[in-house]
Amino acid sequence: MNRPTFGYAVAALAAAASFAVPLMLDRSQLTIFILLGTAVIVTTGLSLLMGYAGQVSLGQGSFYAVGAYTAGLMAVHGLPTLLGLAAAPVLAAALAALVGVPLLRLRGHYLAFATLAVQLILLSLVGQFEFTGGDIGLRGIPQLGVGDATLIDPLAYAYVTLAAAALVLLVTRNLIKSRPGRGLRALASTEVAAESAGVPVGRYKLAVFSLSAAYAGLAGGIYAFYLGYISPGSFPVLLSVQFVVMAVVGGLGTVWGPVVGATLITLLVQALNSLGTMPGMPAYAPDVLSYAVYALLLILVLLFMPRGLLPSIGSRLEDRRAISPTRS
Amino acid sequence: MLQTDRISRSFGGVFAVRDVSLSIAEGELRGIIGPNGAGKSTLFNLITGHLRPDHGGLTYRGRRIDRASPHHRASLGISIVFQGARLFRGMTVLENVMVGAHTWTRHGFWSGALRLPRYWREEHRIRDRAKAAVDRVGLAPWAGRYAESLPLGHQRRLQIARALCAQPKLLLLDEPASGLRAEERQQVARVVRQLHREGLTMMLVEHDVGFVTGLADRVTVLDLGEVIADGTPEEIREDERVIAAYLGEGAADA
Repeated sequence: MNRPTFGYAVAALAAAASFAVPLMLDRSQLTIFILLGTAVIVTTGLSLLMGYAGQVSLGQGSFYAVGAYTAGLMAVHGLPTLLGLAAAPVLAAALAALVGVPLLRLRGHYLAFATLAVQLILLSLVGQFEFTGGDIGLRGIPQLGVGDATLIDPLAYAYVTLAAAALVLLVTRNLIKSRPGRGLRALASTEVAAESAGVPVGRYKLAVFSLSAAYAGLAGGIYAFYLGYISPGSFPVLLSVQFVVMAVVGGLGTVWGPVVGATLITLLVQALNSLGTMPGMPAYAPDVLSYAVYALLLILVLLFMPRGLLPSIGSRLEDRRAISPTRS
Repeated sequence: MLQTDRISRSFGGVFAVRDVSLSIAEGELRGIIGPNGAGKSTLFNLITGHLRPDHGGLTYRGRRIDRASPHHRASLGISIVFQGARLFRGMTVLENVMVGAHTWTRHGFWSGALRLPRYWREEHRIRDRAKAAVDRVGLAPWAGRYAESLPLGHQRRLQIARALCAQPKLLLLDEPASGLRAEERQQVARVVRQLHREGLTMMLVEHDVGFVTGLADRVTVLDLGEVIADGTPEEIREDERVIAAYLGEGAADA
């Protein structure tokens, strides 16, 4: 089987599985499935930003929050919920385009800390304002729907999330194999050479930063409608760290890496959560366990599979059937 | 094709390029030589736009380009093959070359992500031209390999292919043969000679005087940021100042 066919087969299998799985889940498992889906969406954007374009963001949670608040506030004020869901990625992207102008002049650690700062500032602002509900948050966000028909069933949300994740994955796959996608991958290696090859480096960095923010905003919108309640506490810095861990563990610079990373981490965190909340465990156990697992996983992956799970496994498979016709 | 009008650029009070006026004719292959620190790479950076001159200006095909960004200059037809190997890692040889097509294509994020008609129209042409450029430099068998896995000589030719895919009108070559084995140098020289025959205007910076004088129509000699000589390869080889400043006494004897 050649590579593209193999890729399509895996994609078809994954699509079929993720379509079937929600039917077999109970209510609380569906919630996990939906959260997993939103994590896939955010992580796909982050992987595009970090893996392909080489720009770090430790503040992806802030765009997730902007999306959630955009959708939530619009819905609470009686605007059509679908409009809210559509506006969520747009506003998140707009914020990214705004802060991106000064931020993207920074590189590496500096950019990481600056994006982290954006999230901290945003959270404290959201906590201050009355119209956002302050620290208490925004309650009673209506259900997603068109006119009188609303989605109440978690199963329906599962499929909305699935559709959004599929869209985001498709857009990402298309993008990286196009002119701007090649430009992004080029500037990740050397901005100087990319510029001289005609790549408008500054504009591209801003565009990919905004696109990754749009993904996060879309996920945030779904999250707000599904839970019906958001507060600054829903978007801790740990959430941003979690997205980075998912992206790195799954494999940066791959389309499917974020899916693998997000699934693995989400399931692991759930397992640890149930372990941490078992009778006899101290109250801080769940927190400690989840922090510990991020740290441990990150260290293990960086030590043994520095390119992430998917590329490492992929190249191992490829070695097996390697034919290198040009090795002289 | 290109005129530099007394351009200067200094770093920390030391001139890297001082009052350099050059005029490159259409179809010319101009060699630029000079010892280390003579300002050759700085001159190239001023032409590509990665550095701005402190004084003086650049005229390219009749228009001033002093304020144009590097990617804009690229789309005007100025391409460069960098010293060393500035490759795009994680991309195949063909993909590396396809990046060069940025200069004459337009489709952006929307067209690319949503596969709009513009994407389809351009993508095939990009691929065809990139394949042709890969062929030209003799890298066709390596087209599907990751760029960083190639030997240095191949990487240089890959950079030339990337520059060619941009359809340049002026090609800058910054030490394209340095660090290469004799056979690889010959391959690079062959590509350069062929491009010259086809009428492409080029500027060639090299450390190796023999390599330059074997290819160039005219040679400009820089020393400490200033032009100390300018002429045909034969004139340059005879020039007393050049021999003193650059070749050294030992080379004059040899």
